[in-house]
Amino acid sequence: MNHLELLEHTDTVNELLARYGVKFGIYKNNTFKEQLFPFDAIPRIIEADEYAYLEKGLKQRVLALNMFLKDIYSKKQIVKDGVIPKDFIFASSGYMAECEGVVPPKDIYSHISGIDLVKGKDNVWYILEDNLRVPSGASYPMIARELCRRSSPGTFTDLKIEDNRNYAKLLKRTFDNVNTGGLNVILTPGRYNAAYFEHSFLAEQTGAQLVNGSELTVKDDMLYFVTADGKYEKVGAVYRRISDEYLDPMNFNPESLIGIPHIYDVFKKGNVALLNAPGNGVADDKGIYYFVPKMIKYYLGEEPVLSNAPTYLPFYEDDMKYVLDNFDNLVLKDVAEAGGYGVVFGNKMTAQQKEDFIALLKAEPRRFIAQEVIDFQDLDILEDGKPVPRKADLRAFVLMADEPLVWKSGLTRFSRNPDSFIVNSSQGGGFKDTWVLSQ
Amino acid sequence: MKKLHFTYEMQIDYSSQVNSCNFTIKCIPADTLRQKIDNIKINMYPETDYQWGKDGFKNLQIWGKEDKPHKSFRFRIEGDAQTGLSEFEECEDTDLSMVFSCPHGLNKAGETIRNFFDKKINNIDACTYDKVIAVTKLLFEAFKYQSGSTNVNTTAEEAFSQGCGVCQDYSHILIALLHLLGITARYVTGFIIGEGESHAWVEFLDDGKWYGIDPTNNTPVNDDYIKIGHGRDARDCTINRGIMQGGGLHTQTVSVNVREA
Repeated sequence: MNHLELLEHTDTVNELLARYGVKFGIYKNNTFKEQLFPFDAIPRIIEADEYAYLEKGLKQRVLALNMFLKDIYSKKQIVKDGVIPKDFIFASSGYMAECEGVVPPKDIYSHISGIDLVKGKDNVWYILEDNLRVPSGASYPMIARELCRRSSPGTFTDLKIEDNRNYAKLLKRTFDNVNTGGLNVILTPGRYNAAYFEHSFLAEQTGAQLVNGSELTVKDDMLYFVTADGKYEKVGAVYRRISDEYLDPMNFNPESLIGIPHIYDVFKKGNVALLNAPGNGVADDKGIYYFVPKMIKYYLGEEPVLSNAPTYLPFYEDDMKYVLDNFDNLVLKDVAEAGGYGVVFGNKMTAQQKEDFIALLKAEPRRFIAQEVIDFQDLDILEDGKPVPRKADLRAFVLMADEPLVWKSGLTRFSRNPDSFIVNSSQGGGFKDTWVLSQ
Repeated sequence: MKKLHFTYEMQIDYSSQVNSCNFTIKCIPADTLRQKIDNIKINMYPETDYQWGKDGFKNLQIWGKEDKPHKSFRFRIEGDAQTGLSEFEECEDTDLSMVFSCPHGLNKAGETIRNFFDKKINNIDACTYDKVIAVTKLLFEAFKYQSGSTNVNTTAEEAFSQGCGVCQDYSHILIALLHLLGITARYVTGFIIGEGESHAWVEFLDDGKWYGIDPTNNTPVNDDYIKIGHGRDARDCTINRGIMQGGGLHTQTVSVNVREA
């Protein structure tokens, strides 16, 4: 390994990250929790040809998901053709009737997609989850790389590593592709949001204006940025880092104080682009996940390059039987939850818990999916200076500009708990840089 | 067939000054196979510019921002309607009818509605149209009209459990029951001849046609009805939505007048 020198700098890098405010914040049950997002200096290294394979599969998947979203909010052909049962669409909390018949600029719904993968002990990569709403995390490996380059420049001259600092360029290209004329802005819920670091960092890197809701206003049927001295500048594209519900109190949750009244009406008229488009929740629901390989075949006529983890839908009778027969070997997920919540392992339940869960499963079969527990590969992390193996996943970022672009890096998250498979940062995990080798 | 003249007026009075407000108003009847609308006049006080748009279900709406300070906001729409031009509305957009076949929001059935369904409705043997007539009659007999007994957020299940409600609740419960029968049904807002407030009823899909049925009055929709719009439940059909800066406490008065022209 040529990066031993880097490991000695772990503490320095973490101190710098803390100073830059690289934290991770989450809302759960209306309370806000903020925690440091510990960095581990041992990178995940992916060979060039392996990454080329991932890239092919990721592009294919995100193309199909975008086609699915367009179809659902217009013709719904995939439902009419019986590929996906209608209950999985229209009863999903991610389906938004407000988006019916609305066509986003250039038909792009998911401009920035965060696709979570794991590599099994069988050396096969599996898709765990698609995040098509407001996936975060790209800034962590960007800033970590920058700090590592500073603390250990030699490492990066010796190794042929794809420079991941081009993410800003990719993001700008994505912005410009759909901009309807005017400024690019990044809409943040504000400086007290713990992802504020990422918002300001990406704004600075892409040359976009960082704004909060009160700085944007709708006049007639256009969106404007109101400058400090009261001037109105037309906005052409908004990379919004607030969720659909809070985006526009006149169209979505009326209680929202951070949104911009009527912004969605401007979007509907085609006078501004929203990245990502509202309504994407219908495509990254855990129930819909099951159908993504079918979508790829349906829309693209191709075999999926990347596999899902083997998944069962108790909604189907055969699958329900399988789930009940193999309960102890499966992980069960509540389709409405995210961030590692609502995930339970069959073999970790007490008899009573199991009984209660099965009763719930039978009453609301659509609410759950069941998956084989993938024994995924460990990556070494440093603990008290010694390498120890921990479970880790990879969030790959796919940007949809004039063509799909896969960022040659990604956020590798790991579990600090040796017995845990849950790597989500909201569950106290840490992160690594992801090095994609260029040859 | 009837020729009707309708007036819808809404006034909001504030206890203190409103500096600006955003509004979206969804109470503009549109042409359908059943009705033809003419001579629409919209007045707003304070006077303000507005934009036209459509919601996800293609209902007409106007929206805008009032930034003149005001202590009351008044909106008035009037027009002429020829009604009863057809028994049904053509299901032109088969795409969206799918949306109305799934339980959603306020129209979801719970245990009480399911029990009622199992006991009284599940075994009705008739064609779709007659089934709906029969279900509506059973609901009409089992549920009492009582104004003020529910609010805008009351679910079908909550209303049915307490045994009384208003037109919104009748409609939600009927939609829940029809969904259990596998019949596609949607919530409709509109006006009914006479004076009072806006009204709600249900449309169901039968052989590519939407028929209207009014569970509150236990009758098929006829030429006394002017439709404003439709959605999955009452929340989809909120007539007036607004956000204001300032204003304090507010009181809202709505008056609807529909008479033969």
